[in-house]
Amino acid sequence: MIKLIVPAFLCMALVINTAAVYSESAEPTEQLKPILDELFSILDDQSLQGDEQKEARRQRIMAAISSGFDFREMSRRVLGSTWNDLSAEQRDHFVVQMTKLLENVYIGRLESYDGREVEFAAERIKGKRAQVTTLINYEDSKIPVHYIMQKEHDRWMVYDINIEGVSLIRNYMEQFRTILRQEEYEGLINIIEQKNQLFAEGKEGN
Amino acid sequence: MRTLLLIVLLGFIWPALSAASELDRSPAAGIGAELETSPENPYPDLLIDSKDTNILGPDLLGNDPFLMDPVEYLDDPIFEDDFTLNPSPPPISDPFEPVNRVIFVFNDKFYFWVLKPTKNAYSYVLPEDIRRCLGNAFANIAAPIRFINNLLQGEFEDAGIVLGRFVINSTLGVFGLGDAAYRDFNIEPRKADFGQTLGKWGIGEGPYLMLPAFGPSNIRDTFGFFGDIYMHPVPYISDNLTFDLGYLVENRINLLSISPDVYEELKRMSLDPYVAARQAYVDYRRSIIDKP
Repeated sequence: MIKLIVPAFLCMALVINTAAVYSESAEPTEQLKPILDELFSILDDQSLQGDEQKEARRQRIMAAISSGFDFREMSRRVLGSTWNDLSAEQRDHFVVQMTKLLENVYIGRLESYDGREVEFAAERIKGKRAQVTTLINYEDSKIPVHYIMQKEHDRWMVYDINIEGVSLIRNYMEQFRTILRQEEYEGLINIIEQKNQLFAEGKEGN
Repeated sequence: MRTLLLIVLLGFIWPALSAASELDRSPAAGIGAELETSPENPYPDLLIDSKDTNILGPDLLGNDPFLMDPVEYLDDPIFEDDFTLNPSPPPISDPFEPVNRVIFVFNDKFYFWVLKPTKNAYSYVLPEDIRRCLGNAFANIAAPIRFINNLLQGEFEDAGIVLGRFVINSTLGVFGLGDAAYRDFNIEPRKADFGQTLGKWGIGEGPYLMLPAFGPSNIRDTFGFFGDIYMHPVPYISDNLTFDLGYLVENRINLLSISPDVYEELKRMSLDPYVAARQAYVDYRRSIIDKP
């Protein structure tokens, strides 16, 4: 009996311990790093190169980063108060289109970027929000890319990317404001859909 | 043609300058500034170490896009704690938007019809190595701009680095053609311009301007641009305006040929390229001016 209890106890201790270690080490950088590593390993995957593999590659990338990038939150922030006026279906539809746009822009940019080395340089935590600074080598210089995150159910989720002081979400937010003022939500969603269509047809580069 | 361009440019800026005094705004105070705990600001800075900003990079957390209009989100518990962080950045002043948009369209055509073909022909004639060497040399000759501006900003350490790089690259780098300071000594360049200096002195950016051929700017940075020209050594040495302008054009084309296609990238990713460029320019300039 004792022979059984000891290993059982050890197993339990191990389980509890791993759980404790996991939540303790779940800092922004530690959560973001495996996601970006996986993203770059998919981009490097020889079997997924080229335009004909674009769909498969994008699908795997989006699946990989969805555990660390909150596209719904990005969509909500980018729309601002207009989000509150939308119905549930409209919101879901907007999230799908906005996610597609960000995928085309962000992943499309990474696909054309040769360097694969991401250096994790710094981390700031302020209440429920955090900022992870990575450095990307471009030619002879290092370009800082900051991932802005917030804690949601014990996970740090990226909701903005900031490059040299330029916030991706705020940039879209400002563009959307101008469009919303003139053409309302219907006009905006049409413009986004058209843009995604251009990306899908390969008319906006990859 | 070049003279014409300059006249058009000056003609455009001049009326804008007179409007500057009325429309001048205070600089983007508080963005990126360190937080302090206070009754109005109950969220203490939980940073690991907020003193060493070089290691941590700029503080962008106060710069939340949602802070633009916090009242709209009061019913939203997720953002409640964000309201009390930094004040929202001042809105961009763009009273000349209709004119700016026309110039933006002109610049777009200018880019695709003139600049890009010129750049492509230039890149075809000169191999990349040579263009990079020339780029290094142009940057090295312009070192006085960065040196003086770093001094004016009180960045004496950076001024020293600029001087050190200039000495190393002018000698070991053979007239600045090679960046020996970076390759052999790992000393990275330090940028500084007069528009940034004016910003650090507390001078507001003024209305946003889209300059023909030069792209996004504002009243302050346009002044800064002319200030930088005065700090450039070439006009003092050459005494020949045609040569100076030729030098400027060659410098620009060379820089364009060794830089990533920022403009095409911007067009590719945006729904309203004019607003995207304006926001990106203002955010970038504010970030390098507010950097501690």
